[in-house]
Amino acid sequence: MASDVESPIERIAEHPSAVEPSAIEHEFDKIWAETSSESPGDSSVRLRTVNFVALGCDEASVGRFEAVMEVLPQRQPCRGVLAAVYAGQPSLEASISAHCWRAGGGSRHLCSEEVTLRGGLKDEHALGSAVLALLVPELPVATWVIGEPLLSSHLVTDLIEASDRIFIDTGEAADTSAAMRAVLSTRESRDIELCDLAWYRLDAWRSLVAQFFDGDEGLRQVRRVRTIEITAGADRSRADALLLAGWMVSALGLSLADRRATDASIEATLYESSRPVTLRISHGAETDTAISGVRIETPDVQFVLELHSESGHIHVRQEWPDAPIERKVASEPTDDASIFIVALEDGLGSKLYGRSLMSALSLLGD
Amino acid sequence: MTTMTTAPIENPLRAGMRLQRTPDACAVVVFGATGDLTARKLMPALYNLARERSLPGGFSIVGYARRDWSDEQFRAAMKEGVTKYSREPIDESLWESFARELHYVPGNFDDAEAYTRLADRLGKQDAAHGAGGNRLFYLATPPTAYAPIAEHLGAAGLARPADGWARLVVEKPFGRDLASARALDQELGTVFRERQIYRIDHYLGKETVQNIMVFRFSNGIFEPIWNRRYVDNVQVSVAETVGVEGRGGYYEESGALRDMVQNHLMQVLALVAMEPVASFQGDAVRDEKAKVFHAIRPIDDITRDTVRAQYRAGAIFGKDVPGYREEEGVAPDSNTDTYAAMKLEIENWRWSGVPFYLRVGKRLPKRATEVAITFNRAPLQLFRQMGGDNPTPNLLVLRIQPDEGISLRFGAKVPGTRSDVRPVNMDFRYGNSFGVDPPEAYERLLLDAMLGDSTLFTRWDGVEAAWELLTPVIDSWAGGDSPMQFYDAGSWGPEAAKHLIERDGREWHRM
Repeated sequence: MASDVESPIERIAEHPSAVEPSAIEHEFDKIWAETSSESPGDSSVRLRTVNFVALGCDEASVGRFEAVMEVLPQRQPCRGVLAAVYAGQPSLEASISAHCWRAGGGSRHLCSEEVTLRGGLKDEHALGSAVLALLVPELPVATWVIGEPLLSSHLVTDLIEASDRIFIDTGEAADTSAAMRAVLSTRESRDIELCDLAWYRLDAWRSLVAQFFDGDEGLRQVRRVRTIEITAGADRSRADALLLAGWMVSALGLSLADRRATDASIEATLYESSRPVTLRISHGAETDTAISGVRIETPDVQFVLELHSESGHIHVRQEWPDAPIERKVASEPTDDASIFIVALEDGLGSKLYGRSLMSALSLLGD
Repeated sequence: MTTMTTAPIENPLRAGMRLQRTPDACAVVVFGATGDLTARKLMPALYNLARERSLPGGFSIVGYARRDWSDEQFRAAMKEGVTKYSREPIDESLWESFARELHYVPGNFDDAEAYTRLADRLGKQDAAHGAGGNRLFYLATPPTAYAPIAEHLGAAGLARPADGWARLVVEKPFGRDLASARALDQELGTVFRERQIYRIDHYLGKETVQNIMVFRFSNGIFEPIWNRRYVDNVQVSVAETVGVEGRGGYYEESGALRDMVQNHLMQVLALVAMEPVASFQGDAVRDEKAKVFHAIRPIDDITRDTVRAQYRAGAIFGKDVPGYREEEGVAPDSNTDTYAAMKLEIENWRWSGVPFYLRVGKRLPKRATEVAITFNRAPLQLFRQMGGDNPTPNLLVLRIQPDEGISLRFGAKVPGTRSDVRPVNMDFRYGNSFGVDPPEAYERLLLDAMLGDSTLFTRWDGVEAAWELLTPVIDSWAGGDSPMQFYDAGSWGPEAAKHLIERDGREWHRM
């Protein structure tokens, strides 16, 4: 799905160039001087409200970082720094670029800075120290561990202290259960804000599910839920579906009594006091979809959410026997840039995520 | 022992979410549904709220107006409006889903039978959608229709439903002076209670106006100096480049003072001057604003402390424009003000002795709305004694529109061997730090009204206090006590406005 942020309105300047890592700040100063002299009537503003650090372990991570930097600075002006470590990279290399665009058709150029650092496995510590030197003082640091959420790598360890928030994605883990356990234990043992992109992908789903239970009638139904079904795509969506289920289990105060799992599904019996609730998570074959549907049933009504992947709309139905209600709403884009736009603006929900994660792990049998 | 099943007080699935609830299922009834405001502002706002998941299932809209339209004609007209004016492009499939809940009831505002049909229609929708009798009545009509509509809603049993809630949203102007505002309040009050009435001032829905409170109360460094000890004067300015834009007939009855000062400027002034609130719950903000209105000293010398003026022919952006009296629908000898300026004083502990200057005008050189707070000069002009310049005072400007942002002017040393001081600006622009377009004011206000949150709406005591202050000015101007001044279109207003502030040894902030 496409990002909800437009591409830069008009790219004015780009300077992708290889530089000595120690000369990066100096080279940026030169770029700003050039940018100003190229258009004397216009003003250029270097915008930075956050340090956005990305840590990668392959060449593909460079592409993902650049895709995010095409969009993110327009919503979260930042200095973006990628440190990518992978076998086969002979030595430490750095390149910088500056992207400028016009805001609202005016003459003012808004500019962001991007630094890409690549190194071999032996360069991990050197890269960590280079990233620390490039952080703009007094600005928050958001660090993204691209791909497999490996929190024990040297690079991540080096940067944990300097980071205000660390973003991982349990949806990218080869072993969802191990990744969730690692996240939970890191959150409990260290004083860092560890955020999961899988959690932010659930924003639209969570708000729509919650909406069913607003108002007097909704509040009556919330204590009458007897079945919850979540349908998701294959593989990558495993963490998303588990987190959504974990959130509902935790928020509704359900206790796990029994679970049965196969490769394609999890079915659990839970209780709220003496009332049983059946929870089913089933995975289809689609690979590009995370959650594709949610159905919640009470004795009086079925609440249904269905994602139509082509239109990107979510069909929302309240199937009351005498007065069914149906409507469509827009879903949220789930590309990296869009998720970061949501995640960086969010200051809430950390404890809620922790509780949901614990419930998700219990559904996995951990 | 029997067990009673009671609903929990809060939705447990909302815990930790930014939006604590969506509105109850309800019907929004728009009176004046075929008018410009509905197509240009209300419908795009409601469509965007729906597409962004802020509206509940069971939500519907009923348009009510004189034209003999069908549901389909209403939907087509509204689609055209949304296509043209929505901040987000229209999505055909989402529109189709939204439009299914658009309905239309034709009727005159004083046709009792039409209100019965409206009640029937709403009853059917309640049955179909479980809206529970919740209704938001939006009066997008001329003010003369407010009282008859309210009366008929009452007679049709729609104002105080047995089940659910009913709220009435009214647009400005709320009256045209103190007497007419009181009469209107009384007429509405016979049908609706004060807590059911939502007087909309769309300025209060603007993000940058709301940011005045955020700026003051979430930053520790400004509030300690936000008082008479440090502030020399406050200016609230609204400059428009447009003239009356074909609405000469309306403007002739209104003028700058009624159209802008009584509502928008007074509300902005109150946000700048009010005391901090302990919370944003209930009426806390409106209570503090009311205290400000009541603390404004009545203008004792209207001829001295106010200026009214009218634009003559001139040029805007190099293009010739006619004078006000040559506009369509305007009398050739019109006495209506297109520019108003005044000096106010707030008699309370915080602001005693600090003048608040307000100015608003049409056909000024540029469009801008700003609050400018000029601070006292440093107590010792040290650098003047050393041969340097006399530094200009610090100035804090809250730019409300366009180019929304905040700038702070301070003195800095000019590089060199001398001690010259030059004023420089530290500039924050919304667009630079938040790339996203803020939601339209009407989106926020409509959502708040549906949620029953009246914080951003004006309360009767505030409206009444503003009219109490300004009605003597209106009467004095009407009696010819203050002569009408004139200014060329494209200028910054009449000379008399300059004299108003220069007499105090100050000058208008350059916008």
